[in-house]
Amino acid sequence: MKSSPEESKVVVVTGATGGVGRGIALACGEAGWHVWIAARREKEGREVAAEVDAVGGRGHFVSCDVGDIGSATAAIETILGHEERLDGVVHNATSGLSPVPVSLADVPLADFQDHVNVALRALDSLARASFEALKASQGSLLLMTSEAGFEGKAKLSPYAGVKGAQRGFARALAREWGRDGVRVNSIAPLASTPAMERAFEMDPAMADRVLGRNPLRRLGDSTEDIGRAARFLLSDDARYVTGHTLMVDGGSCPAV
Amino acid sequence: MPAPRPLLLASEAEEMARLARCLDAEVRVLPPVDRPDTFEGWRTEILSIEPRKRIVVSLWRSAEPAQDIVELDGEEWIRRFEAPYLLWNFALGAAGRLCSDGGAIVAVNQAPAALDAPGRTPELAIADGVFSLVRSVAAAEGPRGVRANLVTTPIGLVDANLIAPSPPLDGFPGTIESHVAGAVRSFLSEDAAGLTGRVLSADGGRSL
Repeated sequence: MKSSPEESKVVVVTGATGGVGRGIALACGEAGWHVWIAARREKEGREVAAEVDAVGGRGHFVSCDVGDIGSATAAIETILGHEERLDGVVHNATSGLSPVPVSLADVPLADFQDHVNVALRALDSLARASFEALKASQGSLLLMTSEAGFEGKAKLSPYAGVKGAQRGFARALAREWGRDGVRVNSIAPLASTPAMERAFEMDPAMADRVLGRNPLRRLGDSTEDIGRAARFLLSDDARYVTGHTLMVDGGSCPAV
Repeated sequence: MPAPRPLLLASEAEEMARLARCLDAEVRVLPPVDRPDTFEGWRTEILSIEPRKRIVVSLWRSAEPAQDIVELDGEEWIRRFEAPYLLWNFALGAAGRLCSDGGAIVAVNQAPAALDAPGRTPELAIADGVFSLVRSVAAAEGPRGVRANLVTTPIGLVDANLIAPSPPLDGFPGTIESHVAGAVRSFLSEDAAGLTGRVLSADGGRSL
């Protein structure tokens, strides 16, 4: 199977009921793609699927709790039961603990495990479940990592750690899957999202720190800034791009 | 005044005994990597000792066959990635808390260069995760003068059948004595007083 015409691409986005995931879903919808919203919350997921329809794509919902073993695999199997192809898998979901400030020496095992389950175990499951379909479509896997994965975070260390690990996963898998024509990339976004707003509430000085070093002096829009960059990496325009982490952060991260 | 002996928090492995000899370090053994149920207890115990000025952390793993991710089942993924990565979180968290003001922490991690990454996705994921954790410790503990840096080595992970090009320096992948210990000593010393959140890839230039 050759790479599909742009208007008929089929992609799945985890954690797409809001924030960056929703933005990626809508940006892909703008291109007329079939977009599967893989998430726990069905009502919100179907609402985003309807928004995808409204912007010109075809939205679908598939139940997926990426923190549960087997759920990510089952979601991919469900999608492949309905679609003839799969061109892109976007792993965007992140642990609900991500914005919670904590000292690394105080984190209980269960909390570390939650970060690892959502960020990496689900990613491993998604990769293994989707590989044959992506190979057939000459598609790509896209990870939503973070600037935290480059520079670390004093108060968000477990989150920073798994985001770094995702980057290593992508760098290795790009070299493993390249021989089969499957691309693997990452985006480190800085966006205005409900999660970012919660983080600002928990750490009021964070807003000054985040925007003070940002050359563009604003947070990115989830659809127009982040989503469209993701769509580029999923599209045939990026067919020679793999193993790359694209910083879509307004030039914010100085550690790259 | 001579520098105090470093404390080495390390796996029970022959390579770690050699590193301890090179550094003249006191050794405290990390819990077994396959026993996550013991990690919290180990952390409580290690945090009950006196703070130390110089701490080296290394979770040493034995060689694994290169294996594509699609061939790894879930149990293998947990064994090769999750268990060691979780232990790294505990070890570095404890080191950050245990290090006294103005002290130095050095993590030593086995990491494949990107060229050698195929078949070693779990190991490169751990490597980049540990890199980010070390930088997090550097950011968290820096205000009280604690530095945190990282030395990486391919020893035990990658040693033969390298794809071209060859590493710039002969002797790949090196030894603990010739390649790793000196890099650790450099980061521990006052000569590195202005360095934190940095990584030295002691790999003969393989990761260039």
